[in-house]
Amino acid sequence: MTAVDPIIQIHNVFKYFGTLQALSNVCLDVHAGEKVVIIGPSGSGKSTLLRAINRLETIDSGRIIVDGKDVHSGEHDINRIRQELGMVFQNFNLFPHKTVLGNITMAPITLKKMPELEAKNLAMSLLEKVGIRDKADVYPAMLSGGQKQRVAIARALAMQPKIMLFDEPTSALDPEMIGEVLDVMTQLAREGMTMVVVTHEMGFAREVADRIVFMDQGQIMEIAPPNELFANPKHPRTQKFLSQIL
Amino acid sequence: MSPQRQSPTVKIDIGDGAAIPSKKDRGLFTAWWVAFVGAIVILGSLCLSYPDPYWRILAFLPDGIVVTFQVTLLSILLSLALGLVTGLGRLSQNRVWNLLASTYVEVIRGVPLLVQLFYIYYALGRIEAFSNLPPLAAAVLAMGICYGAYMGEVFRAGIDSIDKGQAEAARSLGFNRRQTMALVILPQAWRTILPPVGNEFIALLKDSSLVSILAVSDLLRRGREFASESFLYFETYTVVALVYLLITLVLSKAVSHMESKLNYYDRS
Ligand SMILES: Nc1ncnc2c1ncn2[C@@H]1O[C@H](COP(=O)(O)OP(=O)(O)O)[C@@H](O)[C@H]1O
Ligand SMILES: [Mg+2]
Repeated sequence: MTAVDPIIQIHNVFKYFGTLQALSNVCLDVHAGEKVVIIGPSGSGKSTLLRAINRLETIDSGRIIVDGKDVHSGEHDINRIRQELGMVFQNFNLFPHKTVLGNITMAPITLKKMPELEAKNLAMSLLEKVGIRDKADVYPAMLSGGQKQRVAIARALAMQPKIMLFDEPTSALDPEMIGEVLDVMTQLAREGMTMVVVTHEMGFAREVADRIVFMDQGQIMEIAPPNELFANPKHPRTQKFLSQIL
Repeated sequence: MSPQRQSPTVKIDIGDGAAIPSKKDRGLFTAWWVAFVGAIVILGSLCLSYPDPYWRILAFLPDGIVVTFQVTLLSILLSLALGLVTGLGRLSQNRVWNLLASTYVEVIRGVPLLVQLFYIYYALGRIEAFSNLPPLAAAVLAMGICYGAYMGEVFRAGIDSIDKGQAEAARSLGFNRRQTMALVILPQAWRTILPPVGNEFIALLKDSSLVSILAVSDLLRRGREFASESFLYFETYTVVALVYLLITLVLSKAVSHMESKLNYYDRS
């Protein structure tokens, strides 16, 4: 294995829910620092693929290798692998019984044995970064959707992951709050984070993505840089999908 | 405790024990006061107007009240421990643990409490190590084992009520199963669990009167002792019933108070 191996390697992955084929022979490589945006109609397997990368979802065959470690083989401590993979969910999934600060510091303190003060300083600098320093001591219930999602991003970043996975991070937000979350993600992308993002925000995809993956019915139909994919989609399904949403 | 208690599903059923009043429920709220003030007035005026026998009866009971609380408190602690293990077992992917927990719940739910009490009491007597167990300890074991099954269902429902996204968020951060349960799920489930636990406490306190049959000098047994010497059955059981009523009314108030205190992080 060499230093230039892709940081995520997805080889021939199949996944079934009963008889439903959720992933069908999916292959994808993501290089360190790369931003990959996954688009596709609802039910096409985008979330399943993303969740298979950190083993929130099992797979039936194929291999997923993250930073040199086979995620589904059981040979490696999955909890260690997950520390390298930050994940942001559509519904935020903040811990309601913890303050914003508690949400962010909990994992570094517990899992990395980070001293409390250091974790707090880290959390404050992350809150600064996502633009809600003043909300450190409130409970999530008091935040707007956009603020919640920014806290969720800060919480994932607190583990200093190598890769960030986003599953429709703005889909549950009121329209006026989408921008503030996308701004944070764009900033993160500029800083060189490796990102895999499932989204319907085509403006964001166009601006940030190195490559766009179009999925349909559990399959990757097409992978192309944004200019190419938006201007000149090759697959008829991609054309149809883009014509519906653009 | 009614043998046909429903297993709680989404919303935990508050079916037994004294009804827990909430401010929204005006009727119940008033009923609580009527019962409470009524019980005090009746008990007070009986004791003042006829100190003999009523005051004598009341003065005879405090030892029993202490024992009743001892049995209740110790049993509830045991049942909480058993309930946690059972509730986790019922949700566990570990087949053996899951089957053991489910069987325990099924068996306990299928046998009347009084029969269980007799059974455990006399079964324990046959086991060498337990044969010298004091009646109080045997009673606590029996009550705890019985209520542990119900508590298991309360725990299971409480844990089940937490959105799956919470566990996923914790796992995705790198927390293992145990950490996720201890740091994320249980602290939240506790709020769903505590009100029914409070209610089980009240139900258990009432059911603890059954242990009077096992040579445990609880409130009811003290009453029986007094009555069988004085032959004042009606007077004695009037006082005993009023004392039980007052205790459960006060406890139900405490439970509803505790419940409202538990919602601190929901206020927005
Ligand atoms: N836990 C599950 N059980 C059964 N079917 C599921 C489950 N999760 C997803 N599916 C199905 O798998 C397919 C892909 O789902 P998903 O990956 O969530 O799609 P997307 O994120 O692209 O909308 C859908 O048909 C969905 O209904
Ligand atoms: Mg999805």
